Amino acid sequence: MRKKEDFQFDKPTWCRGCGLYGVLEALKRAAAALDLEPENMVIVTGIGCHGRLNSHFRAFGFHGLHGRVLPLASGVKLANSRLTVAGVSGDGDAYSIGMGHFIHAVRKNIGLTLVVVDNRIYGLTQGQTSPTSSLGFRSISTPFGSKEYPLDGLKLALAAGGSFISRGFSGEVGPLAGLMEQALSHKGFSLVEVLSPCVTHNSVNTYGWFRSRLLKVEQEPGYDPADIRKAWALLDREDRLPVGLVFRREKAAFQEMVLEGRDLALAAADLRPDRARLEKIMEKFR
Amino acid sequence: MDNSSGVAGREPQGDISVLIAGEAGDGILFTSNVLAKVLKRHGWEALTCRDFPSNIRGEPSSTIIRASRRPLLGRPDKVDIILAFDCQRCRQLIRFIRPGGIVLCEGEEEAPCGQHPPAAFSFYRFHMRKEAREKFGSELFKNMIVLGGLGYLFGLDQTVLDSVITEMFLKKKGRAVVDINLRAVALGYQKARELVPEEKRTSLGRKLDAGRLVLSGDEAIAFGALAAGCRFFAAYPICPASEIWQWLALNFPEFQGLVVQTEDELAALNMALGAAYAGARAMTSTSGPGGSLMMEAFSLAGMAEIPVVIAHVQRVGPSTGIPTKTEQSDLTQWVFGAHGDFPRIILAPGTLEECFDFTVAAFNLAEMYQCPVVLLTEEDMGQNSRTTPDFDLGRVTVDRGRLLTERDLAGLAEFKRYAITPDGISPRSLPSQRGGLHMVEGNEHNEKGFRQEDAANRVRMTEKRMRKLETCRKDLPPPRRWGEGGAAIGFLTIGSVLGAVLEAGEELRRRGHETKTLQIRTLWPFPGREVSEFLSLCRRAFVVENNFSGQLHTLIRSQVCPELELKKVLNYSAQPFAPADIIRAVLGDRT
Repeated sequence: MRKKEDFQFDKPTWCRGCGLYGVLEALKRAAAALDLEPENMVIVTGIGCHGRLNSHFRAFGFHGLHGRVLPLASGVKLANSRLTVAGVSGDGDAYSIGMGHFIHAVRKNIGLTLVVVDNRIYGLTQGQTSPTSSLGFRSISTPFGSKEYPLDGLKLALAAGGSFISRGFSGEVGPLAGLMEQALSHKGFSLVEVLSPCVTHNSVNTYGWFRSRLLKVEQEPGYDPADIRKAWALLDREDRLPVGLVFRREKAAFQEMVLEGRDLALAAADLRPDRARLEKIMEKFR
Repeated sequence: MDNSSGVAGREPQGDISVLIAGEAGDGILFTSNVLAKVLKRHGWEALTCRDFPSNIRGEPSSTIIRASRRPLLGRPDKVDIILAFDCQRCRQLIRFIRPGGIVLCEGEEEAPCGQHPPAAFSFYRFHMRKEAREKFGSELFKNMIVLGGLGYLFGLDQTVLDSVITEMFLKKKGRAVVDINLRAVALGYQKARELVPEEKRTSLGRKLDAGRLVLSGDEAIAFGALAAGCRFFAAYPICPASEIWQWLALNFPEFQGLVVQTEDELAALNMALGAAYAGARAMTSTSGPGGSLMMEAFSLAGMAEIPVVIAHVQRVGPSTGIPTKTEQSDLTQWVFGAHGDFPRIILAPGTLEECFDFTVAAFNLAEMYQCPVVLLTEEDMGQNSRTTPDFDLGRVTVDRGRLLTERDLAGLAEFKRYAITPDGISPRSLPSQRGGLHMVEGNEHNEKGFRQEDAANRVRMTEKRMRKLETCRKDLPPPRRWGEGGAAIGFLTIGSVLGAVLEAGEELRRRGHETKTLQIRTLWPFPGREVSEFLSLCRRAFVVENNFSGQLHTLIRSQVCPELELKKVLNYSAQPFAPADIIRAVLGDRT
């Protein structure tokens, strides 16, 4: 069995107390628990403080463009579906500039895990209001309070037909690692949103603030993550922040449907030109 | 289309063209593609030139089909036959008829269309719709009647027409459908024969048809991609590039390839990059605004050194422009666009063979030099069908560049994905390979792929990446020279404008002006030495291109300092050049 140290690489440089330490730790624990080989894992990150994560996670890593985690990760997964592919993104990266991709990756049910590290602010660019910041939130971009309503990524994922929808808290690494472990073994698209304080720029949504609002779904009497009506009701609660596995359903994953019957990964295809077959195709143009 | 420059009429026996005019939805594209195929099988060179609106139904739509003894054709400025589905379209287009030509119109109006003197052309009422309705119960059959009518006017062998139609319908629709269509074709022949006397029609006759194809540039690129081992294609629908996708979607499954429709072009290029990074040969295609959306990931491909191929079929811009018509106005976007400095290769095929060959080359170049490669064509090349010599499948090779195996990796003391090398190329590993673990960074990074921002590293890495642009030159298609080396007049051109330029050159020679042409086939890295050399041997030089501002002209001027004045011959009419446009520009030039 692998240990979480097998995925350790170098020392992170995030601010002391940043929620991302918890996210990194949980991801390492999950990979170790699943006994994944670092060579068969690809971590794709976007732009934001989360983007440093794959510099500290021993696996194949791709730090791409702001908001484009999902199409990049989808390309990797489709070219070699034997790989375990996880995207790590932020609330700005996934829910603002990358929202178009988010909805469609959920809809297509492409078999990858997206970890959205939600600190409700743009940390790397020194603290602007984000799409998950609450109405009235004051920041350098909205000094007199935000006049925008926040969005809820879990509700969007549910509406888009999501097959694995979950939320964790970076202050509770154990349960978060458990969610990631389930997410990484899910065949379709899996969302793990992580409530993750920015200790430098967000003095509102602190560890204490999040902790006092958590609602642990596994402790809810009669909660069933297979029941979509219960999931909607849970997500509709305005007073609390549900954490845990909110919804899960089995449905065919995109790669299972489009790659059905293929013996080899696209990336392993024999590319030597097959003259006879090409000749046959050329005949169609005569 | 002023013909006052007096371009000589072509011998009908050597060159004949027809304009089919109707509305979008009339099936004109189908008709013209069948006709092109039939002409090819008679041993003729054929070109279709579509002039379609960007909607599905109701707006004017037309196609010219030209048959000739010589290859590499331009759009004709006059046609020998007009076949119109209604009087309004006939009136709009009758100015294109050559003196003595034949006009067939379905319309119900009394007088012949237009104000032309009756002797200028022969006019006939040809009732393709009515006959289709009455004899076959549906107007759908009008196109078969048209094909039969044109078969008679061109003097085509009806058995050839029949066999092309049979091939198209037998598998998909069955024998009964084939039979009714063939009866409609026969009716078309008969009706045209009743109308037009034998001596007025042309008789093309049949020559040997060996080793030739008829297809569009989009199809040639798609076929090239398949042959090159492309197995991943991601794109967003856009005219006039979607035919690349459509062809691959049909032909990929047999080769275990995958086509993915993405939510937008941002996703299309990023997804192709992800697949390429994971080891598949990957491609996307687009046009106009789609290219603008790809600029972001274009830079990422340059920085992260990911091999990817982008086919960009230019249309009329800016913005949505005229999506179904031709232009060459995205040239500077791909050569100079996108943020940051990075190596890129931009190829501009000018013939169908080049569409195929350059696509194969593009996949090899992308992997050899680990950079994005763009195939830049235009709507005229992409969507119009032409005849071409067979593609040389024996020339198809797959060179994956410095791609390491696990054994190679095991032999390395340390693998550095972005190792600094004399030629700028760093050996590459793929996800899943033992010993190949690495980080790919869009941020500036060190040899191991980790973010590093200091000045010394920045300079080293920038120079490493940009060195590839020099290393790759030896493998790029050089400019191609056409015509007499000693000619005083030189044309510089790109893409499908080539046909019209070469044809104009032939006509100018008949009028005592020798010309030569330099077809620039690699736009970037720019072949400055070859262009300078060519210009030094010209007394007058014209840059011929399909845009308003002279983007090729700008590119040339930015890269070489010729002593002579570079003149612009521009066409931004949303139509391909006709040879007459170029002849007029040269003859009208007073220097």
